[in-house]
Amino acid sequence: MGYLITAKEDLSPIDYFVEVEAPHVASAWKPGQFVVFILHEKGERVPMSVYKAENGKIGMFIRKLGKTSLQLYYEYNPGDELWSFVGPLGKPIKLKHYGRVAFVSDAVCGQAENYATLKAMREKGNYTISVQTFEDKERVYPMRFLAKEVADEYYLTTLDGSVGIKGHYLDVVTELIKKDKVDVIFAGGKLGSLAKLAELTKPYGIPTYATVRQIMVDGTGMCGSCRVLYDGKVKFACRDGPVFDAHKIDWVDAIRRNSERFKEQEKLAKERYLEYLRTKGVI
Amino acid sequence: MPKLIKERVSTPERPVEERTKDFGEVNLGYTFELAVKEAERCLQCPENYAPCIKGCPVHINIPGFIAKIKEGDIESALRIIWNDNTLPAITGRVCPQEDQCEGACVVGKVGQAVNIGKLERFVADYARKHGIEEELLCEFEEKCSGALGNVAVVGAGPAGLTCAGELAKMGYSVTIYEALHKPGGVLIYGIPEFRLPKEILNHELAKLNRLGVRILTDHVVGKTVTIEELLEEYDAVFIGTGAGTPKLLNIPGILLDRIYSANEFLTRINLMKAYAFPNYDTPIAIGKRVVVIGAGNTAMDAARSALRLGAEVIIAYRRGEEDVSAREEEVVHAKEEGVKFMYFVQPVKFLGENGKVKAVRFEKMEPLEEKDHKGKRKIRPTGEYVTVEADTVIIAIGLEPNKIISDGTGLKTNPDGTLVVDENLMTSIPGVFAGGDAIRGEATVILAMGDGKRAAKAIDEYIRTKMSS
Repeated sequence: MGYLITAKEDLSPIDYFVEVEAPHVASAWKPGQFVVFILHEKGERVPMSVYKAENGKIGMFIRKLGKTSLQLYYEYNPGDELWSFVGPLGKPIKLKHYGRVAFVSDAVCGQAENYATLKAMREKGNYTISVQTFEDKERVYPMRFLAKEVADEYYLTTLDGSVGIKGHYLDVVTELIKKDKVDVIFAGGKLGSLAKLAELTKPYGIPTYATVRQIMVDGTGMCGSCRVLYDGKVKFACRDGPVFDAHKIDWVDAIRRNSERFKEQEKLAKERYLEYLRTKGVI
Repeated sequence: MPKLIKERVSTPERPVEERTKDFGEVNLGYTFELAVKEAERCLQCPENYAPCIKGCPVHINIPGFIAKIKEGDIESALRIIWNDNTLPAITGRVCPQEDQCEGACVVGKVGQAVNIGKLERFVADYARKHGIEEELLCEFEEKCSGALGNVAVVGAGPAGLTCAGELAKMGYSVTIYEALHKPGGVLIYGIPEFRLPKEILNHELAKLNRLGVRILTDHVVGKTVTIEELLEEYDAVFIGTGAGTPKLLNIPGILLDRIYSANEFLTRINLMKAYAFPNYDTPIAIGKRVVVIGAGNTAMDAARSALRLGAEVIIAYRRGEEDVSAREEEVVHAKEEGVKFMYFVQPVKFLGENGKVKAVRFEKMEPLEEKDHKGKRKIRPTGEYVTVEADTVIIAIGLEPNKIISDGTGLKTNPDGTLVVDENLMTSIPGVFAGGDAIRGEATVILAMGDGKRAAKAIDEYIRTKMSS
């Protein structure tokens, strides 16, 4: 049984959108939860955040980063099928009326979570504040994929200032929490930024929840690949998270584990695949 | 009275230098002639006495099937085994026979026990290869109407597969919900091919398919669907989700890179075929010197897998050699293949460099006369320490039940996380049954299968009572 790809399009030169038919997952998914897919029989299990779960379909934002995400981009199109698609996994975030809710993000999965979370938070009657950071004008997503439509207050930033506010979401948050009350901040994207965000909001006592991306295998708590130290105790990001109180995460280990554990293998697989694409004349 | 032959007919095995280069099966099993010869060693204890039957968790009529091997009637031998166990190709390979049937064997009192495990495996393998199973399956197929009712089975491991097969044969329509992308549970993600080739499992799955059992992979019960939702759709539910979460050591350095749980290490290798990276996409990072902590079957599997990936491997165990809980055959194979053993050492700290593990610090232990509840000698720390260099560590100290299934369902659990069941294996929710490691913590494939079979009978009774009331 395969899972039909129903849409695919570029979000920017580095990110793309994919939509997959998976009614069993779409009907159960809640913000904060993720999915795991496998491209083909020899594929790896890839954990992925969700942008939208509607009409039996799951939409995702994916960065062309490693072998699998490149292969999905170059070789799979609407009409093709993914070999495996499972979820929803992890714990949903608590949806309720908090008051003023912010979501800040600076990378592909975080942008998907930004939209998905604030959409649900707004339905709960919250005042929603979205901050989305992109590298530059060229890498900003098309308007309809931004969280602007679900935000009562919206900030777009680019690192080089080519569009929107010049700077990072951390700069916006710094100003925001000085002048306004923010009841809770959710965040996704680069782990290094999340660690800085945790430091930034802690003195203000603002509850801050971050999606802690880690390398996973099964995604159901079976292997412990995604373990993190939370409040001094080992927790599994897949089962106990992936959204955690950012003030209690040991960020140093989490950042290293996510980037270093299979660095050599990831590089090798990517180079090998790029070489394949070159010989095929695709790139 | 047959003449007592003290020595076993040995089973052919692949030579060490050949088998450690791949993941192919180590033991090649008996040929027909060798099986008959080994069968002749059985003293044919009467069924009401035979200690081997009592030693078997599912009470297979062992002298009965061995007598049929002696006669060369493999079909009858298979029928006898199937009365109590429909997966003999698997149990013949993975049961700890020395603690069960073979441990109780009368011949074993004076010589080597009859090789019951390998004879069981022979019957299954021979029947499969010679189409004997086919006839028996056709007989069963006729009974598989699926008309008696609908049952959902959660988890496609040994307990779930057995329960599903039994229910299908009784006439129920069965759907298995499996979280992973392939069915088999520990048989596919945990036990390596050198012990249980995937074709054996695939054959058993094909059999279930013939009996009309439907398997839904990619469905995590508790997440994709809840127990409550299953109860709306099915007459009863069986939970066979195993002991899915690895225990990790609560010591400094546990987050260093290249420290794996055995579950992660084995899942990457067995289920995801990381040994074939980069032809398969899932990677494994392993160094030259691997320390495996623990001495159960999982530890042996992890150690021998690491060895096959080219590493030097040391098994470090906090108790002594006689306390090792792995199957005897696995320990023998591990030693033959060059795995080293350290005893009476308890890890206290992982030492690292640049985020990667570089050594394990152990405290030396010593045994006491007193035994614990499992009958093993208690140990105590000595205050002496030893540091062992390691660039990879695999922790194989056991598993505990995965809380995904019980969280938020109202299923009652014991303090150790196992599900509470009554004498009919029914959980605290009426119509929801459970068996295998989900109720036992960490046990064996055969006990899980036994539970699956018992639960099938209880489910049948439950549904019949419900229908008639």
